Amino acid sequence: MRQRYVLITLILLSLSSMAFSAPLTEDEIQVKVREISKTLRCAVCQSESVWESNAELALQMRAIVRERVIAGESGDEIRAYFISRYGDFIVLKPQVKGINQVIWFGPFILLAVSAFLIYRKIRVWVKQATKVTPSELAPIDDAGRQRIAEALKTYHTGEK
Amino acid sequence: MKTWQVVLPLLIVCLVVVFYHGLYGNPSYIPPVIINTPAPDFAAPELYEGKEMRLSDHKGKVVVLNFWASWCRECALEHSSLLEVNRRYENDPQFVMIGVNYQDKENLAKEYLEKHGNNFKHVRDYAGKVSIDYGIYGVPETFVIDKEGMIRHKSIGPIIGESYTHLIDKVIEPLLRGETLKG
Amino acid sequence: MILEIGHFAVITALVLAVVGMITPWVGLQTKNGAWVAVGRQAVTLNFFLISIGMLAMVYSYVTHDYSVKYVFSTSNSKLPIFYKVAGLWGGHEGSLLGWAWILSLFCALAVWIHWRTQPAVMPYLISIESTLLTGFLLLILFLSNPFERTLFIPPDGKDLNPLLQDPAMVIHPPMLYLGYVGLSIPYSFAMAALFSGRLSEEWIKVTQRWTLFAWLALTTGILMGGYWAYYELGWGGYWGWDPVENASFMPWLIATAFLHSVMVQETRKMFMVWNLFLIILAFSLSLIGTFLVRSGVLSSVHSFANDPGRGIFILAFLTFMLCLSFGMLIFRSSKLKSKVEMESFLSREAIFLYNNLFFMIAFIIVFIGTLYPLFMEVMKFQKVSVGPPYYNAVFMPVAWGLILLMGIGPYIPWRKSSVASLKGIVTLPFFVAFCSLPLFYLVGIQDIYALLALSITLFTLTAIVRDYSALAKMWAERDGVSLSRGLARAFRQNPRKSAGMLTHLGVLVMTVGIVFSTLFQTEKIQVIKPGETLALNNYQVKLVELYPVTGVNWSGYEGLFEVYDKNKRLVTVLRPQKRLYEVSQTPTTEAAIHQIYTGHIFLTLPEVTPDASSARLRALHNPLVMWVWYGGGIMGLGVLMNIFRGFIFGPSRNKGVTTPAVVVPIPDNAEIVT
Repeated sequence: MRQRYVLITLILLSLSSMAFSAPLTEDEIQVKVREISKTLRCAVCQSESVWESNAELALQMRAIVRERVIAGESGDEIRAYFISRYGDFIVLKPQVKGINQVIWFGPFILLAVSAFLIYRKIRVWVKQATKVTPSELAPIDDAGRQRIAEALKTYHTGEK
Repeated sequence: MKTWQVVLPLLIVCLVVVFYHGLYGNPSYIPPVIINTPAPDFAAPELYEGKEMRLSDHKGKVVVLNFWASWCRECALEHSSLLEVNRRYENDPQFVMIGVNYQDKENLAKEYLEKHGNNFKHVRDYAGKVSIDYGIYGVPETFVIDKEGMIRHKSIGPIIGESYTHLIDKVIEPLLRGETLKG
Repeated sequence: MILEIGHFAVITALVLAVVGMITPWVGLQTKNGAWVAVGRQAVTLNFFLISIGMLAMVYSYVTHDYSVKYVFSTSNSKLPIFYKVAGLWGGHEGSLLGWAWILSLFCALAVWIHWRTQPAVMPYLISIESTLLTGFLLLILFLSNPFERTLFIPPDGKDLNPLLQDPAMVIHPPMLYLGYVGLSIPYSFAMAALFSGRLSEEWIKVTQRWTLFAWLALTTGILMGGYWAYYELGWGGYWGWDPVENASFMPWLIATAFLHSVMVQETRKMFMVWNLFLIILAFSLSLIGTFLVRSGVLSSVHSFANDPGRGIFILAFLTFMLCLSFGMLIFRSSKLKSKVEMESFLSREAIFLYNNLFFMIAFIIVFIGTLYPLFMEVMKFQKVSVGPPYYNAVFMPVAWGLILLMGIGPYIPWRKSSVASLKGIVTLPFFVAFCSLPLFYLVGIQDIYALLALSITLFTLTAIVRDYSALAKMWAERDGVSLSRGLARAFRQNPRKSAGMLTHLGVLVMTVGIVFSTLFQTEKIQVIKPGETLALNNYQVKLVELYPVTGVNWSGYEGLFEVYDKNKRLVTVLRPQKRLYEVSQTPTTEAAIHQIYTGHIFLTLPEVTPDASSARLRALHNPLVMWVWYGGGIMGLGVLMNIFRGFIFGPSRNKGVTTPAVVVPIPDNAEIVT
C-alpha cells in the first residue's frame, strides 16, 4: 500500500521536474530577451541599450541574445559572452570588481562617513550653543511689540 | 589650512587634468580584448559558390580575416592594399586571406568586388553572427590569426600607408616565420 | 549686409564686455562711482548689441541666406517658418549666441533692478557677468562663429536635424539656458560677497527670486527634454542617464540643495560659507555642463560636433572660472563665517543639513557615474560603460532618503524639538507606510525597489495630509467655518509654506509616475503584417493597413492600428509613422500615443519594409507615465506661486521669515508697549 503512494509521489515529482525544464513561452522569451538586452550597450550608438536601439548591430545582438535565452543560458552567461568579445564596455552596469567597486560602494561609504562627521560636528555645536532664555530669544523691536499687542487684544476679546 | 581648503583645489586640478586628456581621446573607440585569444571558428556560406567555409579548414595557416561592406567608403580605400597583400603571399601554402561581408546585400557585394577587383575568397555574414563573435562594431576591421589559431593582431580602419607596412613587416612576416609578435 | 551689421554688433559687444569687466574695478580702486556707471552703460548696451546680432541671424534664416555657413547647416527652404527661426539654436554656434544673449539680458536686468537697493554689489556683479560674457563672446567670435559666410552659395540648406523639428525640442534648450544663466546672478552676488568681504543680510531675499526662477527654468527644460525623448525618440522612456542629461541634472541637484539651505541662513543666519559654496558649485556645474556637451569628451546622443580646439578654449575658460570662484571661496571665506548656533540634532537647521548631505551624495553619484568612463579611458584602464542599471541601483536609495526627509523636515521646528514631538510627527505616516507594504505586495507590486519607493512616498504624503488637516481644523474652529474654508485659510496663511508643500507634492506625484512607468512597463517587439494582432497586456493591437505618407519635407510610411480592450471594444485608432526627411536623409519614428486611464499605449514602427508588406512594431504599455509630467507641472505651479506670492496673496505678514514654532512663554512681567 505504502509503495503505491511512494510510487505516485515519485512520478509526480519527476513530472514536476519536467515542468521546470519545459520550453519557455514566446512571452517569457521576449521578457527575458528584453531584460538582458537592456543591460547591454549598443556599441555603435551613443549610450543606448541594445534593447532600445534600432541599429543593425543592436538587432543582430538581440537575435543572438534570443538564441542563447532559448538555449537556456542565463543573463550572466550571455553577458560574459559579449564581454569576452567586446570588453567591459559592452555592459551598461559596470561589473562589481576591481576599481569599479569604488563607484558601487563609494557613495554609501561616503554617506556613512559624512553622516558620522556631521554627527560629530553637531554634537560640538550643541554643546557650544548658548542656552538662551526666552527674553533673550527673539529681541523684539517696536513693530514686533505692536503686533503682539494687537494679537493679544484679539485673543482676549475674541474679535477677528 | 583646513582639510577642505586642500582637498577642493586638488579635486579641481584632477578634474581639469581628466578633461584635458579626455579631449584627445575618442569616446567611440573600443579597445580590443580579443587579441591573444583563440580565434572563434565560424561556418559561413561563401559569397559566390554558396558552399560553407570554415575557419578550421585553414588550420595551420596564417589567416588574414578582413571584415568589409559595400557601403563602407573606407573599405574601398583599403581594398587595393588588401589585394596587394594577397598577391604577395598567395603562393605561400601557409597563408590565406578571407573576407567577411558584413551587414550587406549579396548583389551589392558582388558589384563592389567587380568594381574594385578581387583575388581572395569571401563569406557572407548577414546575420552578424561571425562579426559579433569577433567583436566587430564597424568596418573595416582586419584580424591576423597565427598558425596555432590565435588572434595576434587587429586593425580598425583602412589598411593603407603605415598600417599597411606595419601589417606586412611586423605582423604577417614574423607569423609566417613562426615567430611571436613583439609589443 | 544685415548679417554683417549683426556681426559687427557682437564684436562691439565683446569690446564693451571687456570694458564692463575692467571699469568697475577702476571704480572700486578710485572710489569713483562714475566708473561703475560706465560699466552699467556697457552692460545695457551689450544687451541691445547682442539682440541685434540675434535679429540679424533670424533675418538670415527668414530670407534663406545660405551663404551663411550656420544657416546652411541648420535650415532649409522647405522648413516651416517656426523651425526656420528655431534653427538658430539648433546647432553649436547659434546656441552659444543664444547663451550669450540670455546672459546679457539677465545681466542688464539684474543691474537695473538692483542698482539702487544693492549698490555695494553692483561693481562685482557687472564685472563678473562681463567676464562671463567676454569668455562666451571670445568663444563665439573666434572659434564658433555663426556669422561666417561661405564663398560658394549652396542652393539650399542641409536642413534642421529632423529630431529637432518639434515644439518640445524648440523650447528645451532656451529653458535650460535660462536656468544656467539664471544661476549666474546669485553666483555673482556670492562672488561679490567674497571679494568685498561682506554681505548684506538681504542677500538671500534679493537673490531668492532669481534662484527660484532659474530652478523653475532648469526643471522645465529638463522635463521638456524628457518629454521630447519620450515621444520622439520612441523607445518609450524619458530619461537615459545619458551624460548630457546628467550635465543638466547635476546643477539642478545642487540648486535644489541651495534653495533649501539658504532658508537656514535666512532664519538663523548660519551656514553662510556653505551656501556660498553651493551656489558657486551650482553655477560651475552649468559651465562644466557646457564643456561636456560641446567638447566631444563624452559619447552621448546629444553631443555637438567634436572639436578639440573649441574644447581647449572652453576648458581653459572653465578652469579660469573654477580657480577664481573656488579660490576666492578658500581664501576669503573666513571673513564671512557665521557663528553656528545649533541646539539640537532634532531641529529644522539640522534637518536641512541632513537634506544637504543627501543632495550632495546624490550629486556625487551622478558626477562619478558620468565621469568614471572618461576617467578609466584617461588612465588607460579597461573601457567601461556606466548606464541606467548603475544609477537605478545606487541613486534611488538616496532619492528615497530625500523623500523621507521631505515628510519629516517641514514639521520639525527651528532651534529645538523633542523626541516626543518627533514621534508625534512620524508615527502616523510610518504606520500608514508600514501597513501599505503588505497591501502593495498582495496587489502584485513585489519588486523591492517599487515597494520601498511607494511606501516612502506614502509616508510623506500622509505627513503632508496630517499637517494640513490639523491646520485646517484649527482655522475652521477658530474662524467658525467649514473644514474646507479652514483649509483654504491655512493655505493662504503661509504662502511660502504652501508653495513649498505644493512643490513637494509634485515630487511625490512624479515619483509615483517614475516607479510605475519604469518598473511596470510592458513592451513587445514583433514583426507584424496587415491583419495580424499583437497582444499587449489586456489589449489587442491590430495592424489594419500599412501605407506610404508624405509631409512638408519628409516622406515615409504609416501604420493604421486598431486597439481593442479585453472586451473586444475598440479603444482607439493609432497611426505611428516612420519618416525619412528628404534633405538630410535622416529617418525618424513618430510614435502614436493614446492615453488610457492608467497610462499610455505607445506604438512605434522602427522598421517598415519598402513594399509596405510588413513592419516591425514596438508596442508599449506605460502605466502612469503622464504623472511624471503632471508632477513636474505641480512642482512648477508651486514655484510660480512662491515667486509671485506677494502678488497673489498680498503683502506678506511674515516678511519672509518663518515664525519659529517654539512656543515661548511670555513671562508675567513682560513689558508690552502699545
